[in-house]
Amino acid sequence: MDVDERTTADHVGLREKTITVTVNGDSYQRTVPVRRSLVDFLREDLGLTGSHVGCEQGVCGACTVLLDGEPIRACLMFAVQADGNELTTVEGLASGEELHPIQQAFWDHHGLQCGFCTPGFLLTTYDFLREKHGATEPEIREALSGNLCRCTGYQGIVRSVQAADETWER
Amino acid sequence: MGVKMVGASVRRMEDPRLLRGEAAFVDDIRLPGVLHMAVLRSPHAHARLLSVDVRAARELPGVVDAFSAADLGAEPPGIPFFYNPASFRPAPQYPLATDTVRYVGEGVAVVVAESRHLAEDALELIEVDYEPLEAVVDAYAAIQPGAPVLHENAPDNVAATMVYESGDVEAAFAGADRVISKRLDMQRYTGIPMETRGVVGHRDAVTAEMTIWASTQWPHTMRTVLAGMLAVPARSIRVITPDIGGGFGIKADFYPEDFLVPFAAGRVGRPVKWIEDRNEHFLTIAHSREQIHEVEIALRDDGTILGLRARHITDCGAYQRPLGLVNASLAATSLAGIYRVPALRVEAVCASTNKAPASAYRGAGAPEATFARERLLDIVARELGMDRAELRRKNLLTPEEMPYDTGLVSLEAAVILDSGSFPAAFEQALDMADYAGFAARQQAAREEGRLIGMGICVYHQLTGTGPFEGGSVRVDPTGEVTINSGAAPQGQGTATMLAQIAADELQVPHDTIKVVFGDTGRLAHGMGTYASRNAVMAGTAVVMASTKVREKALALAAHLVEADPSDMVLEDGYAHVKGVPTTRVSWAEIAAAATPGGNRPEGMEPDLESVQYFENMAAPYSYGIHIAEVEVDPDTGVTTVGRYVVVNDAGTIVNPRNAEGQIAGGVAQGLGGALMEELVYGPDGQPQSTSFLDYLIPGSLDVPDVEIGHLETKSPLNPLGVKGMGEGGAIGGHSAVANAVADAIEHLGCTVTRTPLKPATVWELMRSTGAAPAGAGTTA
Repeated sequence: MDVDERTTADHVGLREKTITVTVNGDSYQRTVPVRRSLVDFLREDLGLTGSHVGCEQGVCGACTVLLDGEPIRACLMFAVQADGNELTTVEGLASGEELHPIQQAFWDHHGLQCGFCTPGFLLTTYDFLREKHGATEPEIREALSGNLCRCTGYQGIVRSVQAADETWER
Repeated sequence: MGVKMVGASVRRMEDPRLLRGEAAFVDDIRLPGVLHMAVLRSPHAHARLLSVDVRAARELPGVVDAFSAADLGAEPPGIPFFYNPASFRPAPQYPLATDTVRYVGEGVAVVVAESRHLAEDALELIEVDYEPLEAVVDAYAAIQPGAPVLHENAPDNVAATMVYESGDVEAAFAGADRVISKRLDMQRYTGIPMETRGVVGHRDAVTAEMTIWASTQWPHTMRTVLAGMLAVPARSIRVITPDIGGGFGIKADFYPEDFLVPFAAGRVGRPVKWIEDRNEHFLTIAHSREQIHEVEIALRDDGTILGLRARHITDCGAYQRPLGLVNASLAATSLAGIYRVPALRVEAVCASTNKAPASAYRGAGAPEATFARERLLDIVARELGMDRAELRRKNLLTPEEMPYDTGLVSLEAAVILDSGSFPAAFEQALDMADYAGFAARQQAAREEGRLIGMGICVYHQLTGTGPFEGGSVRVDPTGEVTINSGAAPQGQGTATMLAQIAADELQVPHDTIKVVFGDTGRLAHGMGTYASRNAVMAGTAVVMASTKVREKALALAAHLVEADPSDMVLEDGYAHVKGVPTTRVSWAEIAAAATPGGNRPEGMEPDLESVQYFENMAAPYSYGIHIAEVEVDPDTGVTTVGRYVVVNDAGTIVNPRNAEGQIAGGVAQGLGGALMEELVYGPDGQPQSTSFLDYLIPGSLDVPDVEIGHLETKSPLNPLGVKGMGEGGAIGGHSAVANAVADAIEHLGCTVTRTPLKPATVWELMRSTGAAPAGAGTTA
C-alpha cells in the first residue's frame, strides 16, 4: 500500500485508490476503497450483478470470474489487486441476443434451477472446455467440484457440460 | 383440441435471464441513497443482557442510525406463531433481544450506515454488558429436571406436547407376538440455499407506502405479519419477491431482520438494505430436522404391523417463530407412512434449547419420521429373520384401501391419503434396482473384502397445503397474457409450469405468457411457495382463472362474429367458429372488445381478467420409493453412493424435466443429511458449523445420477390431478442412503441408529463390533 494514497481519515478501510480494469472488453477507471472485494467492485461500482456472492470465503464458487483468462474467486481478491487486469464475467459470455453455446446447453439440458450459482458454473465450464474436448463424466464432475449447487443435484449441470462440449466450436 | 402443454417437457422460460446474469436477486436491487444495515449478534448461548449502549456507534462518520431493543418501544412486538395447540407455552422471539439472549447469533443491536463496511465497523463500538448463564444444548438434557431454564413460562423447557392417536394402541401391543423398540436420532441440519437471505425496504415519500423486496417464500404472509408488528394497515406495505436463489423452506419464516429493515427504513427515511452474510446464515437461519425418536413397533411373527407407539423430542431451539411447531406435528402424523398401521400413538415433545430457532425445511417432519420408520423396519426385518422388502410389501396399503383416513389431524389438516398405487411403485423400484440380484452381489463383494449395501426407503409427503392460493389471468388489449400468482418460487420452474397450464386453456404459446410472482401489490391475497404447493394450489388457481377468461373470450368472440359461444373454439391464438377458420378473431381483437367502451354483448362486464382463489384444505399426498446402493471403505469409513433409483408418483406431471430436477436435487440434499451435513454445537452452545468449510454440502463428486421411474396416480382433489413433489427427494434420500450404509456394515455386528454417517462415525461403528473386516481399524 502506497502511504501517500491514504485519505485524511485514519481508518485503513477508508483509504482509496484509483484503478483501471477491462471487463468484458470495456475499460473502466474507478476510485475504490482499498478494502472493497473484487466481486463487490464488479457488482456495486460497475453494476455487473451477474457475479454472485455466496460465501465470501472462496468455497462456493458463485463469484467465479476469469482474470486474464484464469478462473478466480472474485470474493477472495481486493478490487485494487485487479488493477490493470482483464476480466470476463457472465455478462460477457453471450454475443448480443445469441447465448454462448455453454449458456444454450445449460438452457437445453436443465442445468439450473434457482440460477444463483449458475454464473460461476458457466465460467468454470468455459475455462474447462476451452482446453478440453471429449471430456468424460468423471472429468466433468472433477472440473465442477469447486462450485457448489444446492438445487440440481448436479445431474443437469453435468449433462449441460457434456452437451456444450459437443456444440461449442472452439 | 389443440396443443397440449401440460405434460410437455419444455425448457424453462426463466432461464435466459439467469444465464445472462440479468436476473435480479435481492442483493441486485440498487436504490439511490440506500443505507446498509448490520446486526450486532450475541456471542453467548445464554446470558442476561444487562445493558446495550449504541452511542459511540452513532458517532462514527458514515453511521446514520444505531438502535437496540430499547428503541423498539415500551412493548416491542413479538414475532407471531401460526399454531396454538392447547399445550403450547409460547416463547416468541423479539426483533432484538430484550433482557436475555438465548442463542449465539441472536440480534442485540443494529447499525445503519452508508456502507456495509462502515456499519460493521460501528458494531465494534457498541458496548454490551452480558451476564453469562448456563446453556443447555441437548434436547433430551433440556427436558430433564434441573436443566437450565430458557423461558419462565416453561420451567421444564417443554414448549408444547402434542399427542396423536388412532386405533387401540394398548390392545395392539398386548396382542403382539413381538415388540421391538429403538431410539433413532436425526441431527440438526437445514436448507442452506446458495443465496442467503436479504431484505430491502424503502418508504415512498409521496405515497408513504413501504415497499419491501425480500428473499422470502411467502410475501403476503410477510406483509400481514409486518403490518401487525409495525401496527400499520396492510395496505401501506407492499412486499415484492425478486428472483430467489433457493429456499427449501427456510425462507418461509419470519425473521427478526424482516422487521428490522422496514423499521430502520422508517426511522431514517431512506432505503435500507440488509444482506445476510454466510456466517450470519449458519448462525441464524431456521435450523431443522433435529429429533430424537423413541419408537416401539408391535408385530405378528409373520411381520404384520399391529401398532406403533412413539415419543419424539424435537429440538426447537431458543424460540418458536411462525412454523416452529410444524416439524414436531408432521413427524408424528407421517410416522406410519403408507403402511397399514391399525393403531398408533405418538407423543410429540417440543423442547427449547440454547440454539438457533428451528423451523420447517424441505419435508418438515417427514424426513425425520421416515428415518425413524424405515430404519426401524430394517432392524425389525433383521430381528425377525425376514427379507426387508417382504416386510414392507406385506404392510403396504393397496389401491383398494384408498382414500385412506389415518384418523389423525396434524396442525395443518386431517391426514387422509387420497390416492396411490404403492405396491406397484414398490415392485417397479425393486426391479429397476435389481434388488433380487443384490444379495449375491453383496456376498461376492464381501468375499473380496468390499462392503456394499443397498438401502430402501418408502416415503410419502404432504403436499399442496391449504387454505388457499390466488392467481389472476389477464389479457391486455394488445392480446398479451399475464398471470399473477401468489406463489413465490425459488428455482422450481413455476413460471413455465403455470404458463403451460394457462396455455392449454387459452391455446396461446406458453412462452408468450408473462408470469409475475409474489407481489402483494398485484394480488390481494396469496400464500406462497412451500409445502410443495405450487402445482396443486397455484396451478389450480391458474386453471380456474384461465377457464373464466377463456369462457369470456369465447363469448366476446361469438359476439364479434355473430355466432353462438358454444360454436366457438380457440386455436393457435385465435377464436373462430368451429370448422370455419375464416371467422377467426385474434386475442387482441377480443381483448380490445372487452375494454371499457368496447363492443361487448349486452350486460357483460368490461375487461378481460379473472382473479381466482383455490380454497382447499384437503391436501394430496405424493409418495415414492428410493433405493440407494453404496460402498463403504472399510479402512476409512468413507461412503460412496453408486446407483440410485427413484420411483415417484406425484399424479399428473405438468413438466417432467422440472419434476426430475426436483427429485435429483432433493436426493442430493437427503444424501447430504445422511452422510455429511450437521449443524454442530459445542456443550457451551457455541456453534461449530459456521461456514462451508465446516458444514459440508454435497458437491459434484458426491452425488450420483438418479434413475427415475414415474407413476401417475392422479389426485382426485384438484382438476389437474396433480400432487406436489418438491420435497420427496430430500425425504427419501436421507433414509435410503442411511439404510444402505447400514446394510453395508451391520452384518459386522453394529446398528446404525443416527445420522449423519460421517466417515469417522462409520469407522467407529465398524470398530465397535470388534469384528471389523481386514484393514478396518488399522489406523487406530
